[in-house]
Amino acid sequence: MRAFLQHLAASLRLHYRNKMALIYGYLFPLIFLLAFWVLYRYESVPLVRHMGELLTVSVLGGACFGLPTTMVSERERGIWRRYRLAPVSTLTLVSSTVAARYIILITAGLLQLAAALGAGMPLPAHPAGLFGAFAFVSFAFIGLGLVMAMMADNVPAVQALGQCIFLPMLIIGGIAVPLAILPEWAQHFSMFFPGRYAVESLQACVNGAGLGAVRFQALALVIIGAGGCIAASQMFRWDAQQRFSRRSGKGWLAVALAAWAIVGLMSEYRGRGAARTTAARTAAPVQPQAPPPAEPPRVVTTQPALSPAETRALSSSPPPPKERPAPPRVAEKPAPKSSATEDAQPQPPHPVRSSWQEVTIADIERDLIFDRLPSDQGIVTPIAGSDEDPDPEVADHLEYIREMLPSWQPGKVADPVQRVRNLLYVAAVPDVQQTPIERFAPHAVYERLQHDIPKDQLIKILYWIAVHPTDGDDAAVDQVWALKFQSGAIDMQQVRDRAAIYGVKLLGRLLGKIPEGVRPGSDQGQTPDHRADGLGSHVRQ
Amino acid sequence: MPSVTVSDLRKQYDDVVAADGVSFEIDRGEIFGLLGPNGSGKTTTLECIIGLREPDRGEIKVAGIDARRHPRTVKERIGAVLQTTSLQDKITPREALTLFASFYLKAARPADLLERFGIVEKADAPFDSLSGGQRQRLALALAFVSNPELVFLDEPTTGLDPQSRRELHAEISRMKTDGHTVLLTTHYIDEAERLCDRIAIIDRGRIIATGAPHELIAGSTTYQSVSLATATAIDPTLLAAVPGIDDLAIDGTRTTFRTATVSRTLGGLLHELDARGIDVVDLRVKKATLEDVFIRLTDSGPREHEL
Repeated sequence: MRAFLQHLAASLRLHYRNKMALIYGYLFPLIFLLAFWVLYRYESVPLVRHMGELLTVSVLGGACFGLPTTMVSERERGIWRRYRLAPVSTLTLVSSTVAARYIILITAGLLQLAAALGAGMPLPAHPAGLFGAFAFVSFAFIGLGLVMAMMADNVPAVQALGQCIFLPMLIIGGIAVPLAILPEWAQHFSMFFPGRYAVESLQACVNGAGLGAVRFQALALVIIGAGGCIAASQMFRWDAQQRFSRRSGKGWLAVALAAWAIVGLMSEYRGRGAARTTAARTAAPVQPQAPPPAEPPRVVTTQPALSPAETRALSSSPPPPKERPAPPRVAEKPAPKSSATEDAQPQPPHPVRSSWQEVTIADIERDLIFDRLPSDQGIVTPIAGSDEDPDPEVADHLEYIREMLPSWQPGKVADPVQRVRNLLYVAAVPDVQQTPIERFAPHAVYERLQHDIPKDQLIKILYWIAVHPTDGDDAAVDQVWALKFQSGAIDMQQVRDRAAIYGVKLLGRLLGKIPEGVRPGSDQGQTPDHRADGLGSHVRQ
Repeated sequence: MPSVTVSDLRKQYDDVVAADGVSFEIDRGEIFGLLGPNGSGKTTTLECIIGLREPDRGEIKVAGIDARRHPRTVKERIGAVLQTTSLQDKITPREALTLFASFYLKAARPADLLERFGIVEKADAPFDSLSGGQRQRLALALAFVSNPELVFLDEPTTGLDPQSRRELHAEISRMKTDGHTVLLTTHYIDEAERLCDRIAIIDRGRIIATGAPHELIAGSTTYQSVSLATATAIDPTLLAAVPGIDDLAIDGTRTTFRTATVSRTLGGLLHELDARGIDVVDLRVKKATLEDVFIRLTDSGPREHEL
């Protein structure tokens, strides 16, 4: 134990004396955080939906670059060889090295979390769970880092190996790019990478249902970590002269790879639906619980998240207005202050409606701004102009949707608000997925809504949904796939947000605020689509 | 009982046999030298003994303990300085000694080791700021952190400046005085001759001679080296009639050769020179050295005093 503690202390001391290690270990995670904060600056609750990604990137960097770089560098210099002369076990030295790395990772994670809190992110919904999830994620990536340390003969080899793992995991492994916008093959591919499970586990504890809701992901991380640790222990090298290519025991690498394969196959076996549901559940935003009807709610929603592709589009747009877009809100009686409602400012009192039937035109005029919606020609909530013809393939799909919608069960539920909400999901889901049908599906939905719901009711319901985007349930999204939409994980929060915006757009058409049959966004009063400009700014402050 | 017994040690790397049936014993309290050219197998042999390498076969006993079966027990009782030992750039000697002391059940106090090896002033300096001599003293201090009965030194003076080398020689002599048993590998013949009580000459993985330096010299040859300078150069054909001349070399007016019959050869040579009127300017007869023995046994060419 004395050896373990002394080596742990020495490892930490040396790490904190190494300027480059500090830059990589602590500054880079903060730079990532800053980058995400800038990229997603129009989200009403900063960073809360990206902490899983940010923490995963930090752990990935520290465990898959920092750990093997340190170990291989020390091995190259003969330090581990010198350790071997002492009557101390391999397990003791490797354990203390791993423990030191875990402390480094967790301090980097805490620093990142503190910076996020400073930027306005609410406290994680499940702090203890987050600690546990972080441990699982660290275990998985440290196992991977140990394998890399045993495979790499020198430090440049660590960098090469690290990049081979880091970049794919970042791009198509579910870490930096949301799975929802990846092609289906990449979503399958990501099931074999630990990054996906890391993001989902951490995110579930930040603003989701907690660690209990991501048991499979935690199990996947444990399997991957155990596979890595077992393989690394069997391939352990004290001496830089023991080249990997000439060493016996290379076959143990198969154990690490098998762990990834097992996890991927298990995930496939559980089915995409399960993955999608899990992703949706875990990505649920921090929301106050729906208040009882007796207490008129103060509803706060988060802004729709920007996918990287969307953000790229934004970056080429004119600069957004200085005013921060506000979420829809109907406020009278302040709710108890919570982390999620901290940015909600008291609003001037006005009548609070307890049901959609009570909504008046005055409410709509007062609360909604139709000329600040995202452009129909933009990326968020696009709607094709009536003079636009879809491609034949899209046209076929649109026709199929039109045919299927009347018999689509969620579009027939008794509650008219839920029914409208479900139909709006039909427009919102392809928008979130950015599939070719996204610009045409709203037409089918609009037609169906007009056919199914009397206009006066539809006006009230669409307003109600716009200001209550988080109400109701989202089970209908699981049945949207019956309409031949692309399958895969989807961010439910985004779907709800987009549904609310489509609701306002269709409401604008019903009220004649947005002329039908023309392309809004140019000379019809709508601002050009700067993503941020439109998101949520259609609801008055 | 010997401190170290090595019997029939064999270690092969791919097609190269680094140690081929190596056997020797080291008595308690003696400094034993493994002398051999580069690649002869001396480092492999030492590393097998201290547990850094697993031999293919053979028996190794250190302080009566089977080193192959109980390596950790042996490691508690030995100290070693490897050919290349480096530490982390930013670790200080005090921290390194404290860390390594935690690995042993009965460790020396780091402060005492800093004092003994003269690195008190650099105790809190980072490793990358130490000179070569200071690093070597720290390596020695690390070897003594275990209060070792036996000390293993693998080419400890290689790369050191003359001053550091002299200091290290003094330290090794002190080890013997303090009662430590020392196994030293070196390719410096003068170092082995000066420090070692006994030497094993190793070449191509085999021990080819073992004994005290003077015994090796006396036992291996009766040849002596002759060097003479003459007023004019000697014609080599002149020496054909002189008996007992081996390894003849003529460089201008300087002539060298070896002979096992000094009186008879010199008598014949001087007679021939006198008959031709060639004056002898300088004449030296030198006993065989360890270097001569080494060269003869290993068939290696000398590089000053380094082989």
